[in-house]
Amino acid sequence: MTPQAAFEREPARRVFASEFRETRYQFKEGDDEKSPNYVIFPTGIRSNRIFVVGTLTEKQRQGEQNIFYRGRVIDPTGTFFIMAGSYQPEAMQQIARIETPAFVAVVGKPNLFMTQDGNCLVSVNAESISVVDRETRDLWVLDTARETLDRLDVFGTTEDSRKAQEEYGTQPDLYRKIVYDALTQIQM
Amino acid sequence: MYVMNLSEVTERISRKLESSGAQPDRQKIESRLRRLVEEFGVNIAEAERTVTGDLAREHNLPNLVTSSSDLRPINEIVPGEWVTIEGKIVSLTPSFSPSIAQNGIIADSSGAMRFVTWTRANVPAMGYGHWYRIESAVVDEYRGTPNLKIHSGTTISQMEEGIPFIPSITPIMELKPGVGSVRAKVIQDWDVLHERMLQTGLLGDESGTIKFVIWKEEGKEKLEPDGVYNIYYASVDEYNGRLSLALNTAMYIADEGDIEVGRNATEIQGALVHVAPGSGLIKRCPVEGCNRSLSRQNYCPVHEIQPNFRYDLRLKAVLDDGERARNVLMQRDLVESLVGISLEEAISIAESNPLGMDEIFYRVRNSVLGRYYTCSGGEFAGRMLVDSCTPVTFKPQELATLLNRAGGEAA
Repeated sequence: MTPQAAFEREPARRVFASEFRETRYQFKEGDDEKSPNYVIFPTGIRSNRIFVVGTLTEKQRQGEQNIFYRGRVIDPTGTFFIMAGSYQPEAMQQIARIETPAFVAVVGKPNLFMTQDGNCLVSVNAESISVVDRETRDLWVLDTARETLDRLDVFGTTEDSRKAQEEYGTQPDLYRKIVYDALTQIQM
Repeated sequence: MYVMNLSEVTERISRKLESSGAQPDRQKIESRLRRLVEEFGVNIAEAERTVTGDLAREHNLPNLVTSSSDLRPINEIVPGEWVTIEGKIVSLTPSFSPSIAQNGIIADSSGAMRFVTWTRANVPAMGYGHWYRIESAVVDEYRGTPNLKIHSGTTISQMEEGIPFIPSITPIMELKPGVGSVRAKVIQDWDVLHERMLQTGLLGDESGTIKFVIWKEEGKEKLEPDGVYNIYYASVDEYNGRLSLALNTAMYIADEGDIEVGRNATEIQGALVHVAPGSGLIKRCPVEGCNRSLSRQNYCPVHEIQPNFRYDLRLKAVLDDGERARNVLMQRDLVESLVGISLEEAISIAESNPLGMDEIFYRVRNSVLGRYYTCSGGEFAGRMLVDSCTPVTFKPQELATLLNRAGGEAA
């Protein structure tokens, strides 16, 4: 995967929660202050935007002066932690109106935060959150399964996947199993 | 006899140079011509060529050097040249200006070009379907296409019938601004929005589709929907990077058979990940041919304040397949069906709701954001102009295929 031309919007990658949760490695493309920040997912793709569809089970309003929302979005493999603060006014207004539980689609930026005791917290800075339906959720699971399998098929042959191998020691079979298990949770 | 000819040629050479910004000395030109013709026995055409070439070099005008009287095929001519061509008048269109005596299209077996005869050129009118040799005409560019200008320095002589030729048909996707001939099927007949317009719609051939227009004019007839036509010498115009065909210069003949129209459309399936500002209910400039969207203050960037705007619905969004994020633009009919709201309903909601037009933006956004769609349409200036858009539905066989892919090697 080569980086996109500057004027082209970054695609939103599809990733399951259990893979997203393992993400640790991030880098900056270029030296410029405005160069994009990427993470590399364990199955070997760089990303500075993701698209997630799942169930918003919980939301919390936090902060006094700087209000922000936290939310949990569940997919068949685990949980995405969603943040929407004053830098994402659209997402914040949207999440404020949504009553849990609800199927939601989230577009946002991966965010890594290192705690003092060395843990890495992975969350999504939401750009938008919208209410969708169950069928959209199922389509997302298929979409994410396909994208993940596509990445595993070329694992070890691309620059990003070699980096992922080095950083995470990814075992492709483990991720195939995760994909398989996610697919079996769709009701036929 | 000599004297007259030489002064004519002198005039022609001077004009050529003057039109390129030089200021030639007429006496000097004439004396050089006379010297070549009288002293060296050079014929006049050759003398003209030699003197023109010499002066062009002296005035540093390399373009004029090729301005010989050599006969040139029409399709090789580029703007900025002085040329001699032989061709057939295949179209004459009414002149809209007293300074233009004639305009139309001249063609040879290589191609065709629009021409203009200035009234001041004072040359005999050319007749439709006849052949002419046109010497020392100048080719310039008009609205991005080469255009032959017949001026007072141009010599026109009618010829015997030239070699018969059939206009070469160009696939629609390969048309360039200028003149083009196509074999195409009428695939859409649109509402005419202009009183001077006779018909407009979409033509298609195996390679793709193009918009066409026929302006009202005596003797012009409409194309039959679904009819297949040979269209010779239509004007290919470019506007905002898009081509269209004007059939008023053209001769069109219904043809046998059918055409399998090629869809130059691309199709993408993905998630709609962003709805851009400027979506929903918008106001458009009412000035004929403008149609720009207005600001909240009814301000058109070109025509300023336009209180008699008309409303429209549109969607500017990003469709993302996980590999690439693409800008898409949808027009009113698609927005109406995707959102389930008509333009009239949208207007009445906007006019009675405290949020006004924003309310429609939110409704549009909330019904499409985060959902999967298949869109097809033409790509233009980095944006897909969507012709059709359908929600993606869940297909159990895809689930089965993916389960096989995921489970096949594991376990």
